Amino acid sequence: MTLRRLRHPALLVPVLAAALFLVLGAGSAAQEEDPPGRPGGDLVAQGRELFVVGCSSCHGLDGEGVRAPDGADRGPSLEDSGEAAAYYYLTTGRMPLASSEEIPQRKEPAYEPHEIAALVAYVGTLGDGPDVPDVDAATGDLSLGGELFRDNCQACHSATGAGGALSYGRAAPSLGQATPTQVGAAMRIGPGQMPVFGRDALDDAEVDAIARYVRYLEDPDDRGGIALGRLGPIPEGFLVWVLGMGLLLLVSYVIGKRSYHRRKAEAG
Amino acid sequence: MTTTEGRRDEAGDAPEVRPEQARQGERLTAVAFAVSILGAVGLAVVFSTGGQPQLEGILLALALGGLGVGLVVWARYFMPHGPAIEERKPLESSEEDIAAFTTQFEQGEHVLARRGLLVKMAGAAVAALAAALVFPIRSLGPRPGRGFKGTPFRAGVRLVDEANRPIRADEVAVDGLLTAFPEDHTDAADAPTLLIRPGRSRSDDGAAGAETSDRTSEAAELLAYSKLCTHLGCPVGLYQAPEHLLLCPCHQSTFDVLDDARPVFGPATRALPSLPIRIDDEGFVVATGDFEAPTGPGFWDRGR
Amino acid sequence: MAPLRRRRHSKPDRLVTRRTARWLDSRLGAAKFARSALGKVFPDHWSFLIGELALYSFVVLLATGVYLTFFFSPSQEEVIYTGSYEPLQGVEMTEAYRSALDLSFDVRAGLVMRQIHHWAALLFLAAIVVHLMRVFFTGAFRRPRELNWMIGVTLLILGIFNGFAGYSLLDDQLSGTGLRIAYSIALSIPVAGTWVASLLFGGEFPGPDIISRLYVIHILLAPAAIIALLGAHLGLVVRQKHTQFGGGERREDNVVGERVWPSFAFKSIGLMLITAAVLSAMGGLAQINPVWLYGPFDPAEVSAASQPDWYMGWLDGALRVWPAWEIRAFGFEVPAPFFPAVLLAGLTFAALFAWPFLEARRTGDRAEHHLLDRPRDRPVRTALGVATLAFYTVLTLSASTDVTATTFGLSVNAVLWAFRILCLVAPPVAGWIAYRLCRDLVDREVARGETVPKPVPPPRRTRDRPRPDPRPTPAD
Repeated sequence: MTLRRLRHPALLVPVLAAALFLVLGAGSAAQEEDPPGRPGGDLVAQGRELFVVGCSSCHGLDGEGVRAPDGADRGPSLEDSGEAAAYYYLTTGRMPLASSEEIPQRKEPAYEPHEIAALVAYVGTLGDGPDVPDVDAATGDLSLGGELFRDNCQACHSATGAGGALSYGRAAPSLGQATPTQVGAAMRIGPGQMPVFGRDALDDAEVDAIARYVRYLEDPDDRGGIALGRLGPIPEGFLVWVLGMGLLLLVSYVIGKRSYHRRKAEAG
Repeated sequence: MTTTEGRRDEAGDAPEVRPEQARQGERLTAVAFAVSILGAVGLAVVFSTGGQPQLEGILLALALGGLGVGLVVWARYFMPHGPAIEERKPLESSEEDIAAFTTQFEQGEHVLARRGLLVKMAGAAVAALAAALVFPIRSLGPRPGRGFKGTPFRAGVRLVDEANRPIRADEVAVDGLLTAFPEDHTDAADAPTLLIRPGRSRSDDGAAGAETSDRTSEAAELLAYSKLCTHLGCPVGLYQAPEHLLLCPCHQSTFDVLDDARPVFGPATRALPSLPIRIDDEGFVVATGDFEAPTGPGFWDRGR
Repeated sequence: MAPLRRRRHSKPDRLVTRRTARWLDSRLGAAKFARSALGKVFPDHWSFLIGELALYSFVVLLATGVYLTFFFSPSQEEVIYTGSYEPLQGVEMTEAYRSALDLSFDVRAGLVMRQIHHWAALLFLAAIVVHLMRVFFTGAFRRPRELNWMIGVTLLILGIFNGFAGYSLLDDQLSGTGLRIAYSIALSIPVAGTWVASLLFGGEFPGPDIISRLYVIHILLAPAAIIALLGAHLGLVVRQKHTQFGGGERREDNVVGERVWPSFAFKSIGLMLITAAVLSAMGGLAQINPVWLYGPFDPAEVSAASQPDWYMGWLDGALRVWPAWEIRAFGFEVPAPFFPAVLLAGLTFAALFAWPFLEARRTGDRAEHHLLDRPRDRPVRTALGVATLAFYTVLTLSASTDVTATTFGLSVNAVLWAFRILCLVAPPVAGWIAYRLCRDLVDREVARGETVPKPVPPPRRTRDRPRPDPRPTPAD
């Protein structure tokens, strides 16, 4: 990617090249994803065991949800969550939570990939929720994905995928680490504050396209230089005041301060 | 005091530069200019081979900066530094000058018998010309008319997506939303509409949940609101499904979808206007009229 | 016709520069004037260079801007993109946005010029603001320089306006959102709002002509006005001569420093080149306004975290913190945005224009001043200035409520309330601290027995209206 952009890599002075590659290449490592395991009797049984141990305190022994004595929802029913929800929440580390008050956030997954596959298979048997979508980002249409992303996603996740604030302490996460399957699963289930984008609204090819564009946004064409978090005018303003103005005021001071001779003449 | 001033004023002190200092200054200046030359040469090479923004920026900075630093060092080492003193003469003119000017300016005045009238006439002429020139400005834009208060939505106009494809009611999933437009008017900037099908509240099963359960029929469940913030017209695109809140990303006005999209936070003062809709026999969403109120930001005679 | 007698001695100079100078002088007779121009004395305090930073940013803006006009096309005609940026291939967009993409991807040095231009605009306004602060806190706006102060404030307004016009030209999602807000603000003006908006935009938003109109303003009208006013600004400095800090040989009736030629001219040109170099480095290394990531403008779309450039931040921040208050009566209304946008901006600039006169009126000090005040010697003015600065800084920061909230994991609602409170609390607190600080500094100098320069030197010859009863000198 980076090499293609620099039309004449041979020109790069080694030091500059190193700096540039560090700058442009940072954070580009896309996560490899594990294909979700196919459900089988064995896998489902394993999944149930793990579920009883790790999930049932909030979601109930059979995923029916748990209500605290005061009537508040401790954990929602998973009957119609489907494999997609289990896959999304577990692979992004948003589940399990330490307490039901905690807002799910992206972490290292708590389970090993094969455990996740088992849990996904088990949750899939609870009801008729959506399956884990089969997302193939590579075949997605990049510019269609960009248009759909701007139509449907940028309002919350920002045009650069950097994420954004929602009301009352919620936030749309950055998409920098999202894998194509996670993107597809999130659209189908609408996790957290996110609305649902069903098949009727966005078909599988369109999901592929969006996933391709999200993957592109992990390491977009920053041919202008350091991306400043791709947060728009605010970091730009800070940079011009701190670096630009700071540096030039310093230069002005050095140029404009009274020379040695002058100060001596004044003192004497 | 006056004598030293006079001397300095004439000459300005040439800096007393010792030979080794002079050599240092020369070296520094030469290095700076050399950096500048190298930068410029590099820049030419980069451009001739197609260009690369980062290299262009750095090399341009070197070329310009080298030259600049060279000039500054040159000045600091080898040029007189003053202190030079300049007297400040009074800014005001002398009475004689003012009197002479007045005479010059007002000559011929005495032959005018009816000065006041003529001056008024001249003023009126200028004002009339200025007023006449206002009218061409009128061509800059059309008279603001009904367009500010209405959209292309009418009874029977179908709701379509960006590609002018009619939207079926079942395309909007529970907890989902779609941006819709009046058919054949997808570029109408005042008509973007949000179709939302709020789900049962996931965060609290209290009042909000009860309210949704009233809207049992398919049509009632589907809500249509103007997408334009009533504050400054930004598209209110952020839908927090479990909270049923719409948030405007520009100034954080927040609207409650289950409470007729009334503002609950931020600078917006009015609810998002709702669009009356029905589902036709083929399952498409059709407007049964225009928005209940003008969409977008407020203006002086919005309520008239 | 008798041949003209050669006035000059016959032997031509060997130096080309001298020959050129003589050729010019024989046609212009400018030697005397040039000599006095070169001999002008420039005070040698470094803070006098801040205004030059603004001037030289403007030079960079002109140079890069001219290059950009060769390639930018201010047309709202719809086209299909087929350029070299893959993710937008086949996307429908306006000609303006496409030419901005072409500038960024296909024109040699286009992107670096675009980015230098944008950084220079941000720096231009930053330097103007710092320069204004320097002039304000040292009292350099007092008689006889009130006119130049007003020209400076006009330049600030023109700079802000033209910056916004430039930001709006590219027709990307961000600039379109900004224009939509500008349109809605125009709409909020009582009585005339719909007319103003319709005439500015050529109809209802987005209007068919707004980009081409802004283009004419951005590249012709506003720069011409800025150049004319800059000329007047500098011309007045030459005519009235610089101010200077007191002390040493520096008195009301002289200017002490360096002569323009050669030392100061070399340094100043050096500073210009270094300013251009810093902007080039930023333009090459730090990405600014990557419009290809924002996509073409679509009135039905918006991105999270949509902000204006920093110099519009105070207005955007004011729009955010202003509560949902508006006036409605008899079916007419004054919408909420009118107060924080139109009214606040109007009052801000009106107060800036009027300040020299307001202060003279308050203190009764209408004498000429060429020696600058030390901020500590004018505690009331300094405190007022610091409080005002605190107010606008809080407003500017308020434009980042959402980015602040996500960056630090806070609730956007809590952040907004914090800024609302800060708007009211920060100015008086900052002003009070500044006032105490000024007083303490002066007290300490007095206690140490240091000679404190007299705050008000005896007024110079003032022929007009000798005041029989000058109010007790300064309020502070």
